[in-house]
Amino acid sequence: MSFSEYISSVVARTSEMFEIVQSQEHGSLVMVFIIGIFFGGIIQYARVDKFEKIAGFAMLKDTIVPKMLFLAIGITSIVLYFEIKMGWASYHVKPLMLSGLIIGGIIFGVAMAIMGKCPGTGPISIAEGRIDVLVGAIGGLFGGYVFTKFYDPFFKPLMGESYGKGTLESVGGDFSSIFVLLFGIVLIVIAIKIPKMELFDEADLEKLDDADRPDTDAAQNREEFKVIK
Amino acid sequence: MKRRLPWWLGGILMALLLLFTFSIFGANRPLGASTYVPYYAGILFGMDPEEYPYLQHVQKAGAWEGVMLLGSLVGGFFTAVFVTKTFRISVLPTGWKTYKNNSVASRLIWSFISGFLLIVGARLAGGCTSGHFLSGMSQTAFSSMIFGGVVLVSLVVTGKFFYNEGESK
Repeated sequence: MSFSEYISSVVARTSEMFEIVQSQEHGSLVMVFIIGIFFGGIIQYARVDKFEKIAGFAMLKDTIVPKMLFLAIGITSIVLYFEIKMGWASYHVKPLMLSGLIIGGIIFGVAMAIMGKCPGTGPISIAEGRIDVLVGAIGGLFGGYVFTKFYDPFFKPLMGESYGKGTLESVGGDFSSIFVLLFGIVLIVIAIKIPKMELFDEADLEKLDDADRPDTDAAQNREEFKVIK
Repeated sequence: MKRRLPWWLGGILMALLLLFTFSIFGANRPLGASTYVPYYAGILFGMDPEEYPYLQHVQKAGAWEGVMLLGSLVGGFFTAVFVTKTFRISVLPTGWKTYKNNSVASRLIWSFISGFLLIVGARLAGGCTSGHFLSGMSQTAFSSMIFGGVVLVSLVVTGKFFYNEGESK
């Protein structure tokens, strides 16, 4: 394949991507793009895409990520249950492939601690100028290449058998609404109870006025925090 | 104007976005953010979906997330520039300097390796922080709870052994 053939193939397949989204029943192209804008905006605004937030959580020096994550899951699980009961949404559960989940989860956790990003927060970091994450994304593309190339002979057998798509709702029977409600409440309580600790990066705060700086608030509220330079 | 979202407001807004995305008024599907990587890899490495069935398997989800990702780049960029004022070009995270080392080469090599592993791990498990944690656990799925538990342990153990205390500096 020559270089110009390569470019035209990339362009053709990118426009095919837009057509696929447009022809699916999962929101218009504009809608999906706007969902992305909010996804990027919320994560950026809360600063949970920062290395100090995710690697900081791995070092147990920053707890904003688990607090925000568990709160979001807790609220969503309760409201989503009713959303589905009203017929406004449906379940899309991932299969329980035990060895894939365990091996994949271990690898994912190691990589997330070292990179300080996950696949959703990484691109947002690149959008705010992090070159190291761009290099990580190139590594990720190679990961995607290798996974796709060796999916049938290697990765698929590694993932193992599916044990179905069980949820608390599906096994709960008559008590499913109570199970889901309890699950949601427990997660919300965990989110609130995890002690708040923050690791601030001076380089991230230096353009702010003193009154806008989150470490000023944290000091006033006598919260546990540390500013690194 | 506040330059940071408090964690609880971030959590509530993320819940609203998830609920909207799940609903028939939004996208009638969960929010995910790792399937786009093999999809993009297929495009950029010129892999033929006829030859690699996995690409056919992830085509619809990959394209959806691919467009969502483009939106998140735009949303992240404008928020960084105008709201949080955090846009800057940087190579070495401050936390890496404090708790690991001062070497750009070390950071970039580890970034590449961990970026590679991040995607292989996510695809083996069938999802990532968004697809499993946020979307999967919100559906009270057992698969996502197992993934969540394994990742939390693996993350914290790695954090303990990979980084140092940083007090020597």
